[in-house]
Amino acid sequence: MRVLVKPAQYLALAAYIVFLGFPLLWLVSASFKSSAELNSLTVNLIPQDWRWENFSEALERQGLVRSAANSIVVALVSTALVILIALPAAYALARFRGLLRTVGTGWILVSQVFPVILIILPLFLILRTIGLTDSLVGLTLVHATYTLPFALWMLQGYVTAIPTELEEAGAMDGAGRTRVLREIVFPLLMPGIVATAMFSFVSSWNEFFFALVLLQSPDNYTLPITLKMFIGGEGKVALGPLAAGSVLAAIPSIVFFSFMQKKLTGGLLSGAVKG
Amino acid sequence: MTATSLTRPASTGGGRGRRPGRSGARSMGGVGRAKRREAIALVVPSLLPVLLLSVAPLLVGVLLAFTDARLVRRPEYEVVGLENFQRLLDNGFFWDSFRIGMVWAVSVTVLQLLAGMGLALLLNADLRLQGLTRVLALIPWAMPPVVVAIMWRMIYSPNAGPLNAALGGLGLPDDINWLADFSTALPAVVVVGVWVGMPQTTVTLLAGLQQIPGELNEAASVDGANAWRRFTAVTLPSLRPIVTSITSLNFIWNFNSFSLVYVLTEGGPGGKTMLPMLFTYLEAFKNRNIGYAAAMGVVLVVVVVLLLSAYLWSQFRAEKER
Amino acid sequence: MHKRGASIAASLTAGILLLTACSGSGQDEGGEAVDETAEPVELTFQSLSDQPAAIEATESIVAAWNEANPDVQVEIVPAGWDGIYDKLITQFNGGAAPDIIHYEAASIVPFAVDGYLADLSEHMSEDFVADVPEGIMESVTVDGEVIAYPTELQSYMVFANKTLLDQAGVEIPSGETMTWEELREIALATTTGGTYGLGWGLKSPTAAFMTMAPAFGGTFFEGTGADAELTVGEGELAIPELVRAMSTEDSSILPVSLTQSGSEVLASFYAGAIAMTIQGSFQAANIAADAPEGFDWVVLPPLEGPDGAGQAANPQTLSVNIDSEHVEESAEFLNFFTQAENLAALNEADALIPASSSAQELMAKNLEGEPGWDVVLSSGQHMTDAPYLFVDAYAQWKDTVATPAFQRFLAGEIDADGLAEALQSGWDEITA
Repeated sequence: MRVLVKPAQYLALAAYIVFLGFPLLWLVSASFKSSAELNSLTVNLIPQDWRWENFSEALERQGLVRSAANSIVVALVSTALVILIALPAAYALARFRGLLRTVGTGWILVSQVFPVILIILPLFLILRTIGLTDSLVGLTLVHATYTLPFALWMLQGYVTAIPTELEEAGAMDGAGRTRVLREIVFPLLMPGIVATAMFSFVSSWNEFFFALVLLQSPDNYTLPITLKMFIGGEGKVALGPLAAGSVLAAIPSIVFFSFMQKKLTGGLLSGAVKG
Repeated sequence: MTATSLTRPASTGGGRGRRPGRSGARSMGGVGRAKRREAIALVVPSLLPVLLLSVAPLLVGVLLAFTDARLVRRPEYEVVGLENFQRLLDNGFFWDSFRIGMVWAVSVTVLQLLAGMGLALLLNADLRLQGLTRVLALIPWAMPPVVVAIMWRMIYSPNAGPLNAALGGLGLPDDINWLADFSTALPAVVVVGVWVGMPQTTVTLLAGLQQIPGELNEAASVDGANAWRRFTAVTLPSLRPIVTSITSLNFIWNFNSFSLVYVLTEGGPGGKTMLPMLFTYLEAFKNRNIGYAAAMGVVLVVVVVLLLSAYLWSQFRAEKER
Repeated sequence: MHKRGASIAASLTAGILLLTACSGSGQDEGGEAVDETAEPVELTFQSLSDQPAAIEATESIVAAWNEANPDVQVEIVPAGWDGIYDKLITQFNGGAAPDIIHYEAASIVPFAVDGYLADLSEHMSEDFVADVPEGIMESVTVDGEVIAYPTELQSYMVFANKTLLDQAGVEIPSGETMTWEELREIALATTTGGTYGLGWGLKSPTAAFMTMAPAFGGTFFEGTGADAELTVGEGELAIPELVRAMSTEDSSILPVSLTQSGSEVLASFYAGAIAMTIQGSFQAANIAADAPEGFDWVVLPPLEGPDGAGQAANPQTLSVNIDSEHVEESAEFLNFFTQAENLAALNEADALIPASSSAQELMAKNLEGEPGWDVVLSSGQHMTDAPYLFVDAYAQWKDTVATPAFQRFLAGEIDADGLAEALQSGWDEITA
């Protein structure tokens, strides 16, 4: 009985690896296939002939480069905004007790269950009134706003982890408040800021719904929207370039997450609800 | 998936399992008025965008639900009171979609929990291939939902799709159009939902598992408890709070899901995968009845909040009784 | 059909020919009003073309215009057919709609009713109006205003795998038309062990059923505008019921095809898994490009029912945004775009039928002797009025009611009575 446990565990692990990994493998394989092969009934994991052209075609034909540039700009600017705005607030939430903290935490939790569908209708009307629909500026603001709660929550966790004694010691040495923050708190917070920034970047890079409703000119589309439009209706779908574009679109997120993989040990989320 | 892609956390580095704020609050206790003012000054910048772009729209959204506003060239609307809600009661399409949304949210949430628990236990055991599995387990979380949907469309395709090929190899029916067949469409999108949502559940549960003191399991072992017994007597009760919270959050995220299914099936075939968010979106941006759509949004939110409260209350009661 | 190069050459030639004419008139106007140093007017043209050849044809027509009209530059903004209805709603509401809008008559009408489209009656060249059959002109007229230039017409055609038909001993029909009964018989005759007689991509069935209903006297709608009434009777249900019968009684339709899009069904066609497939004529271009080597295919004659071979004409359209600052210039560009040479080139690239008679004639002349084209063009003679074009709520009914109902019927979830009931009650719900 005992002898069978390990093999059974490995069998289960293998099943998980196939379930999680095979779709990715298939997407990569499809990104090298010709349209004739993808539009046939033959099924091969290894493409019959490797079509690297899918990648160049994806980049040339469908405005993918422009959308990728739009996505990068929106993600970078919204990330910068989020960090700038969240950092002071996170510090305040972590260091000061009282009503503010309760309200802040409560709002962060509520934001997790926000019904975006109810918000998007008036948001569309409001942004239209101030001329920010079909605008990357508008989308950037929206992304920043909706990433803010979680970024705030992450950051205040990192602030809390810095012992206040360090700050107090700095203050006793005669350092001014700004100096304490700049020279003691900020360096210690750096890893947390990087992690929060990455989370914020990936959230914006992946975001679909707001972009779908708020952006209207193909010139302004972000990458997810362009990929969706790529799928097409009744007409001919360039499946190979579509797969190639999808692979390219997934790379930044996967790189960031692999980078952060090691940090995924604590249970911030569970902590959020427990606390 | 939209909301969730924005709100689902990527890293959990900051928590370290400690209750945030305690030590700080204690040592800075007795903050004066000046401190309070400073705190408010620090928080205000993050309040502004929130008030403007999420609280205000939410309020306007609720108000919209009581009007007959439409997305047309000359928007003229009247306050119609509860008329939208009355119409909604009789709208069979909406309640069909609501039912589909519940089936979707419950099955995805439960399967995420079961599959995530299994994987978390495996990752917590002393096995090889851990690194690979960890990375693989995180990728679905990191990928844009649109890409996930495109990928699974290819997996499910009856043309050159690997799933049918594998079934054919086993001598099973191999001509199923998974995402377009009435009987398979909803299960097929549920599987994708599980694929996407499992990583986060796994990571959270794994964190919980790693916090269970090893002595507890050892003591149970000494008492002669087998693996299953140890799981039900030690592991599960310790994980209970985490399971409760992750289940409630997953349920809401899944119920609010939009992008994934929008790209996979657009609610088809024949409305079989018409999640309530898709239904509401189409009412607003295809039929242009934004007042009516807002009423749908309000109803969905109220129902979800009620269900969630009931669930949390029952969990709370169970906790107390133990 | 194998002449992608030729179509480009044709439109280029047309462009050069017109270049002289247009630049002449441009100078005349320029001399009077246009300031030489003024910034050129820039027009955005949102095009939905998704066939590579059609994209090229559109680009070369636009290039010819831009060269001839330095003061009115047109920029193509490519978009796709997928989700374009929703997109146009947010574009118009967000004030971000392009100057020139490509779409189809059935779906553009609601936007006209809402007042988003410019009245083109005064701008449209008289020659073009005279050149377009009256019924088609009517399909782009809303409340007495002409709201679009009709450009391309699609008809549904039967493509057949000649080898499979020969193997089954079926004589390839060669008459002016063939009846739906004949189609059913051939499908049955060609259904053997691993092969089905017919594959029909009915994932989005409404357009196909509505377009082909006139052959059985089906009109679906009576009346126009907000007063239109839906009627679902024998004529309307004839084709869906025929498909059901072929699928359940004869087992001569590849079941999975009923849930696929037309393009997806082509894979089964190439693989010899189906002997025939009903497709939009535009697929001729795709089949020519993608079919495996040695694949022997033919186009069968237009399908005919008891009421003839009529198919409802739902032309693709080009409209002008009423909020455009340059309605006049946009219309001038469209007058150029819809000249016979250009329409012929575009339709050839798309394997569709031009909306104007002179372009049809030109195309017939250009393509004389090319296989399949005679059928494509002759199906143009069978185009009839499409009553659903004049119904305000059609687009909404199609997506939210008709498509799911037809899908449920094809999947065997409801019977013909259930289908009629679903179509009707959904209509009542929408128009209540």
